[in-house]
Amino acid sequence: MSPAALRTLRIQLAGKRQAHLRRARQRMVVGMALFGCLTLLTGARLADLALREPVGVANAHNLWERIGPRAPIVDRNGSDLARSFEAYYLAVKPQQLIGDPAEIAEQIARIIGERDPADIQKKLSHRGKWAYVERRVMPRDAQALKALGEPGLEIGREWERVYPNGTLAAHTIGHANADGEGMAGLERQLDERLRDPDRADEPVQLSLDTRVQHVLVQELAAQMDRHSAIGGSGIVMDVRTGELIAMTSQPVFDPNAPKFGGGGEMDPRFNRATYGVYELGSTFKALTMAMAMESGVVTSMAQGYDASAPIRIGRHRIRDFHAKNRWLSVPEIFMYSSNIGTAKMALDIGPERQQSYLSQLGMLDRPTLELAERGKPLQPPRWGEASTMTISYGHGLSVTPLHLAAAYAAIVNGGVYHEPTLMKLGLDEQPEGRRVFSEATSARVNALLRLVVKNGTGRNAEAEGYRVGGKTGTAEKPKNGGYARRSLVTTFAAAFPMDDPQYVVVAMLDEPKGIKETYGYATAGWTAAPVVSRVIGRIAPLLDVAPSDTKDVDLSEMLAQVRGAKETG
Amino acid sequence: MATLALPDRLSRLPWAAILAVLALGLFSMLVLYSAAGGAAAPWMTNQGIRFAVLFVMMLVLSQFDVTFWLRWAYPFYGVCLVMLIGVELMGQLRGGSQRWLNLGFMNLQPSELMKIAVVLALARYYHFLPRVRTQTMASLILPAVLIAFPAALVMLQPDLGTALTIILGGVTIVFLAGARLWMFVAAGIGAVVGIPLAVKFLLQEYQQRRVLIFLDPEADPLGAGYHITQSKIAIGSGGISGKGFLSGTQSHLQYLPEQHTDFIFATMAEEWGLFGGFFVLACYGIILSWGTWTALTAKAVFSRLAAMGLTVTLFFYIFINLAMIMGFAPVVGIPLPLMSYGGSAMLTALLLMGILISIYHHKNRQRLQTVPGSI
Repeated sequence: MSPAALRTLRIQLAGKRQAHLRRARQRMVVGMALFGCLTLLTGARLADLALREPVGVANAHNLWERIGPRAPIVDRNGSDLARSFEAYYLAVKPQQLIGDPAEIAEQIARIIGERDPADIQKKLSHRGKWAYVERRVMPRDAQALKALGEPGLEIGREWERVYPNGTLAAHTIGHANADGEGMAGLERQLDERLRDPDRADEPVQLSLDTRVQHVLVQELAAQMDRHSAIGGSGIVMDVRTGELIAMTSQPVFDPNAPKFGGGGEMDPRFNRATYGVYELGSTFKALTMAMAMESGVVTSMAQGYDASAPIRIGRHRIRDFHAKNRWLSVPEIFMYSSNIGTAKMALDIGPERQQSYLSQLGMLDRPTLELAERGKPLQPPRWGEASTMTISYGHGLSVTPLHLAAAYAAIVNGGVYHEPTLMKLGLDEQPEGRRVFSEATSARVNALLRLVVKNGTGRNAEAEGYRVGGKTGTAEKPKNGGYARRSLVTTFAAAFPMDDPQYVVVAMLDEPKGIKETYGYATAGWTAAPVVSRVIGRIAPLLDVAPSDTKDVDLSEMLAQVRGAKETG
Repeated sequence: MATLALPDRLSRLPWAAILAVLALGLFSMLVLYSAAGGAAAPWMTNQGIRFAVLFVMMLVLSQFDVTFWLRWAYPFYGVCLVMLIGVELMGQLRGGSQRWLNLGFMNLQPSELMKIAVVLALARYYHFLPRVRTQTMASLILPAVLIAFPAALVMLQPDLGTALTIILGGVTIVFLAGARLWMFVAAGIGAVVGIPLAVKFLLQEYQQRRVLIFLDPEADPLGAGYHITQSKIAIGSGGISGKGFLSGTQSHLQYLPEQHTDFIFATMAEEWGLFGGFFVLACYGIILSWGTWTALTAKAVFSRLAAMGLTVTLFFYIFINLAMIMGFAPVVGIPLPLMSYGGSAMLTALLLMGILISIYHHKNRQRLQTVPGSI
């Protein structure tokens, strides 16, 4: 090789080396770029997974994450009425089952018990992506199911609503379904609030008092049993605020396992206290009395009306049950529950004023309450003089027991109407209310109510020392255009203590039957009044109402106008 | 160099990378503590002891002269190959598949060491290959054998993930050494065509299923997609800041499979959230970029190729695991180096780091044969 050629070769070789080095560097940079890209991709994917709405969770059918807990409901003293907790469920992804469905079904049935393996097997082998096998599994069983190690089985947790008091106040609280949606009662009406994830820890406090509620339910149910009634309703209301302390509808249902009654029976979930409308009979006479005094129709207790003969309206006659067949003074009309006297008084009041007062007492509209189930009153199609007369003693206008309780509260508390509420009111939330009657009217009607219990049809409602006042109401149920003699709705609307009324108590029985102890009578004085007596006797101590032998309403003005009455009653 | 005093040696260490390794190791212990339901047993203590021992080993190895690795690259490869054949034969004899040798304090998987051995052997091969011949076909025969033989053995075990890492690590070095570009393009096309066939004929049935399931985890007939779905749920439910230490539900209720080994990242992400995830990624980022930088600035061919090959091996290790956990790669069963519970993976990672640091110390040397003719 010539020196020149050798030099050329060297130069070429050096050039090749340079090129090689350059190429190596280039490739290294390419590799690094690949590194960087893949690392960025990983980081982006990580952020994507972490920040995205957890789609994977929904794919896994984890309802627990989706539903969220509902806020607890507590009574006025803070004890639980409804609460959410995490329960276990068992579900299956049939496509992912590895083992033999029959064998797995057998194992599952052995663990959870009370289930037919064939039924479970059908679930396991259904054509679908996912299904519940058992909605509620005991925690211990959940562990055992997990230990089966079957990837097609999913043991998850979801929120379940529990009502620790069972049937107590079930109509008021209502219930939520397995998917966490409020279906009835407060659970339905306050659904949005109860579901609000930001307030899930903050309980909804009701005005109800579990202890009072318990007494009311117990006494009402016992009386229904005694008189074979088909239903009943009871209300205890604070007259100063409109707060409902207790409210029940009978028969009851268990919100933990709500089921349709089915058949001809009325659904037990029907709320008779706030949704059922009834003609509540003579309890309305207290309203008529208040209207008469307030409007100036009755100015003196000595005033009288002729009750010697029934009143004829078309084909119907207005008669008295405890007929005296003579002129009756105002206290006598009320005491003996004279339909004739009350109807004549109502004629003097007139349809317009009657409607106006009833409207102010909230008796012509759906009640305002935090429940979905609120009954609309049934009004007469034409409200003429005939309607005015019948409505004055509680026929022709159907309202809920809640309407009656709220109206009574307005009468006895000095004349101020408060909208009923289920929410506990704080000291700074005392409602103003709207004045319907004067204090004087209220005081006189209070005396009349007390008179009924001391000397009239409501003697069975007296509770030793608690100065009960109230009015009976016995109404025949409308049937096929007429009235059914033997199907009664008996009501006793009361308040106590009458010298300073604090609580209204309403008891209503649907179709009570007479028994030997009541001499065959099924009227309100025999069926509903004793419930009120027993309830007040038991709840007054709980509500801090002191018994007294010395305090009472001064009835002398009334008794002076009652023929043959003695001061002692 | 060997005469440097200890303080000087310490100051020359690449502290950023070493601290990242230490951080990952300690973080792993926290996660293992939580995965065991707030207990040191059974995982954290074991992992801690192993980490301490192997960390010291890494520091010792880092003090070796880089020529040591060059000189012993082939013998090391040979030993690994013998061990691989050994476990294969033993497995055959015992009538099962065993991938490890019991060393007493840990089970050693030769296939793990093989990843490093292949890189070192190839780097040594190209170091002595005259530059002008790097682009000839003939020069590719030995590298092909060096890669294919152990890869095939590992595939037989069968361990798809490790086999892939060995191949990718080896091919990277061939690429960097300067083999013709068209070959890689052709190989890429070949892979696209060949992989479906390979899946069909080469993979075990359970491996086939894993690959296919990756394509549609929700439609999984036998529950292997369960891993991916649960892992995604775990990461997703962690959100930005996580559920908090000891509070992961997916992992504690044992929805998450392999929560302490292959899926430890998901366990961590559930409790530490996006912050935890980025912390781990950042630690790996520090180590990997330091490794790449070492490769870029190294003067000798062996140093350059070995550094890059080792870094790439570590990268694939990490990337395939994370990709699998996040649901964009098949479930291949690769642990996350430095974090997953287990000795072999940790041994590989720290051995690899030791060699990398040793190369880093000598990256400015042009000529590596201190004793001419000894190779």
